[in-house]
Amino acid sequence: MASVRFEAIAKRFPGVQALSDVSFEIAAGSCHALCGENGAGKSTLGKILGGIHAPDGGRICLDGKPVHFRDPRDARAAGVAVVHQELAFCENLSVAENLCLGALPARGGFIDRAKMEERAREMLEAIGAGLDVRAPVGRLTVGQQQMVQIAAAMSGQARAIVFDEPTSSLTQHETEKLFELLRRLRAQGVTCIYVSHRMAEIFAICDAVTVLRDGRHVATCSIQGLTEDELVQMMIGRKVEAPRPAHVDAAPGEELLRVENLASPGRFSGVSFALRAGEVLGMAGLVGAGRTEVAQALFGLDPAATGRIVVQGREAAIRSARDAMAAGLGLVPEDRKRHGLVLSMNCRENATLPMLERLARWAFVRGGEERGLVDAYFRTLNVRAPDMDFPAAGLSGGNQQKIALAKWLASRCRILLLDEPTRGVDIGAKAEIHALIGRLACEGHAILLISSEMPELLGLSTRILVLREGRVAGERSRAEATQDGLMRLMAGLRAA
Amino acid sequence: MTTIETPAPQPSGTLSPGSRLFTLASRYGTFVAFLALIVFNVAVTPNFLSWQTLNVNLTQVATIVIVATGMTLVIATGGIDLSVGSVYALAGVGMGLILRAAFPAGAAPPSDAAVIFVALISSLGIGLLCGLVNGVLTVGLRVHPFIITMGTMMIFRGLSAVVSDSQSISLPDALSRLVRFNFGLGPMVKPVPALVMLFTAAAGAVFLSRTVPGRHVLAVGGNLEASRFAGLRTNRIVAGVYVLSGLAAGLAAFVGCGYYGGAGSSDATGYELFVIASAVVGGASLSGGRGSAVGAMLGAILIELIRKSITTLRFNQNYEWIIVGAAIIIAVVLDQASARWTARRLARDAAAAPSAGEQKGEKPV
Repeated sequence: MASVRFEAIAKRFPGVQALSDVSFEIAAGSCHALCGENGAGKSTLGKILGGIHAPDGGRICLDGKPVHFRDPRDARAAGVAVVHQELAFCENLSVAENLCLGALPARGGFIDRAKMEERAREMLEAIGAGLDVRAPVGRLTVGQQQMVQIAAAMSGQARAIVFDEPTSSLTQHETEKLFELLRRLRAQGVTCIYVSHRMAEIFAICDAVTVLRDGRHVATCSIQGLTEDELVQMMIGRKVEAPRPAHVDAAPGEELLRVENLASPGRFSGVSFALRAGEVLGMAGLVGAGRTEVAQALFGLDPAATGRIVVQGREAAIRSARDAMAAGLGLVPEDRKRHGLVLSMNCRENATLPMLERLARWAFVRGGEERGLVDAYFRTLNVRAPDMDFPAAGLSGGNQQKIALAKWLASRCRILLLDEPTRGVDIGAKAEIHALIGRLACEGHAILLISSEMPELLGLSTRILVLREGRVAGERSRAEATQDGLMRLMAGLRAA
Repeated sequence: MTTIETPAPQPSGTLSPGSRLFTLASRYGTFVAFLALIVFNVAVTPNFLSWQTLNVNLTQVATIVIVATGMTLVIATGGIDLSVGSVYALAGVGMGLILRAAFPAGAAPPSDAAVIFVALISSLGIGLLCGLVNGVLTVGLRVHPFIITMGTMMIFRGLSAVVSDSQSISLPDALSRLVRFNFGLGPMVKPVPALVMLFTAAAGAVFLSRTVPGRHVLAVGGNLEASRFAGLRTNRIVAGVYVLSGLAAGLAAFVGCGYYGGAGSSDATGYELFVIASAVVGGASLSGGRGSAVGAMLGAILIELIRKSITTLRFNQNYEWIIVGAAIIIAVVLDQASARWTARRLARDAAAAPSAGEQKGEKPV
C-alpha cells in the first residue's frame, strides 16, 4: 500500500507546458482517476510517476517520503509500475519469455524453459489471467497483452500501478475483465491510478478523481456525490454547449463527392455516401469499424479497394494519393507523426510537399512564391511557430495538425478527409480546429470528419454516418443524432 | 557539422546569441576542421601548396567527391549504394572497350572530339544503366538496398573482369589530354578533375536545396509513409537516386581513368566505404532525410587531409587507418551531439516565441 503525493510538479515539452504546479494526494489503496481532455497532462503526470519522464520542477512523495525516479527501473524498485497505452513487448517472444525477460532463469548458461514457464504461469495466476505462456505475445489480443503487462507489473511487487488509458483499444468484454482485475488489485491493497477521460469507466471503478486542465490541477474530490455533468464541466472548464456552427444552417451546395459500393476485401464493403459542398459528414464507429480504412481507400492508398468514386459529377479513377489529389481530395491522417508530416523537415517544406511542382519553374522551386503561399496559409490557420523554417518536430500537436491541414488547403483541395483531426492536440487548439472546420465548410469545402469523440461529431456534423464492422450501419441527420443513439448503432444494439 | 543546404534547423531571429553561435559552429564544423588542417599542412610542409602535391591530392579526392555526391542523394533517402566502386570499374573498362571497338588501331586517327564524345557517352551510359539496375531491383523486389547493392557490387565487379579478361585497358591519349588540360597555365597545372568535382558538388547542392526532386528526396528519406500520403511517387524517387548515383560513378570513371590513361577491372576497389565515410562526415544521416553535397565534398577532403597530415607529421604510417577510422567516428558523433543540442536549444527558444501572425504585428485570424 502506498499513498502518493504530488508536490508542485511541472513539466515542459518542446512547444508546450504540459504540467505546471500540480499538487494533490492519492490515498493508499484507493483507485484514483486522473482525468482531463486530450492534452490536459494526465498521461504526462502518470508517466512522471512511472519514472518515464523526469519532472522539471516539484517532487513526488511515496508514503510521505520524497522519491526521485531517474528511469522506470527506479520506479519499479520503489513499487510503482505503469501499464501503458501503447503496449511494449517483444512480439516475437513468448508470453513466458516476455514476463521473465528481466531475469531469465538459467541453468549452466542455458535458459531453463520449464522453470521460466512455471514462473510465468504463477505470475498470470496471481492476477487471475489464464493464458498460454508459450504463445508469442504478438498473437494475443490487445486485452490479453494488457493482462500480461499487468502480471509483469504485479510480479515486481508493485504497490502502485498507473493505468494509462487502458481501455482505449479493448472490447466491452475485455474492459469488464480489466475492471474485475482492478477491483481485485484494490482489494489486495494496491493503489491504482486510472488515467482516462471516459466518464462511465471513472464512475464505475474509481473512488476519487483528480481533474487536470491545460496542465493545471483543477480539483481532487471523491466520486461519491459527483455527477457526470459536474465532472465534464470541470474537465472542460466551461459550459458544455458550444455555439451552433454556421455551416449547419446553410443550404448545402453542389455534390462534390459520391461514393458507390466502395469495398476492400477484409476491411469494409458496400460503403456508399454522397458529400456536398458546405457539408460536414461525420463518420462514427468503434475502433476497427473501418473508418480509417475507408478514408485511406478514398485517397487511393488501398490497392485492393473497388467501387465507384464520382468527383464533381465525373467518375474518378483513384489509384494513388496522387490521383486523389488531382481529383481535389486531401487527407489529414489519424497518425500525424507516421503519415501526416515529415518530421525531419521544416514547417514550410511540409506545407508545400504535395504541390511543390506547382511552385516550380523547370523543377526549380520558386522560393519567394513558396514563402508567400505558406505565409498566407499559416496566417489563416494561425499556426504558432517562430517562423516557417522552424523544424516541424518542434511544434505542439495542434500546430502540427494545422500544417497537415495547410498542405491540402494550399493545394486547393475542396474535399477534405479528416481522420481524428483533434487527437492529441490541446484544448485551445482543438477549439480552433473545430472553428476552422466550420469555416472551411462555409467556404464551400466538403468535409468527411472521422472522430471517436461524440461531442465533436455531434457539434460539427450536418449528417452522421455510422460504420460497424466494415459496413454502413446507418445514417442520422443532425436533428436525429444523439450520443446514446449513435453509440447503440455503433455497437449494434437495438434502440432503447 | 550539420547540413549546409538541407533541413538543418535554421538559425532564426528568435534565437539567443549563444545558441546562434553554437548553431553556426556546428553547421560549419567540418569546414572549420578543414581550414585548420590546411593551415597546419601549409605551415608544416613547405611544398604543400606546390602544383605537384595539389594535382596528386586533388585528383585522388575528386573522383571520391564525384561519387560521394551521388551517394549523398542515396543516403538522404535512407538507402545505401555499395556498388559504386564496381560501377566505376565497369564504366572505366566498358568505356575502354567501346573506344577500342569504335576506333580500331588500323583506321585513320579519329579526332579528339569524337573520342571524348564516345568516351563520355559510354561511361555515363554504363553508370546510368548500373544505377537503373540497382534502383529497379531495390524498389521492385522490396529488398534492403544494402543487400541489393552488395550483390550488384560483386556482379558488376565480376562483369568488368569478364569483359576485360582482367587485363588493364589503355585509353586513347585524347582523354588524358582533356583531363590533364592546363588552360595554358603552365605544365604543372591540371585543374580539370578539381573543376569537375566542384561542379558536381555544386550541382548536387543545388539539386537538394532548390529543386522539386531534391526536396522529394529529402521527404522520402525523412518519412516514406508521409511522403506517400502526400501524393509523392515514392518508388520513382527512390529508384531515381540510384540512377544518379550510378551516373556519378560513371562520371568519376571518365575523370579518373581519363587522367591515368587506363582502366582495369580492379579499379576503385573498396571505394564505396570512402565514399560513404565522406557523406556521413559531411552530415548525411544513414537513417535518411538529411544530406549535404557540399558537406560530402568537405568530408572527402577532410579525410584526405588527415591522411596527408599523418605523412607530414612523419607519424608511423602503420597508424594511418587507425587514425582515419577514429576521426570518422568522432566526426559523426560530434555531428549528432550538436544536432541534438541545437534541437533542444531551438525548442526552448520556441517556447517563448509568438505565433507567426502575431510576430508580424497582425491579429491572428
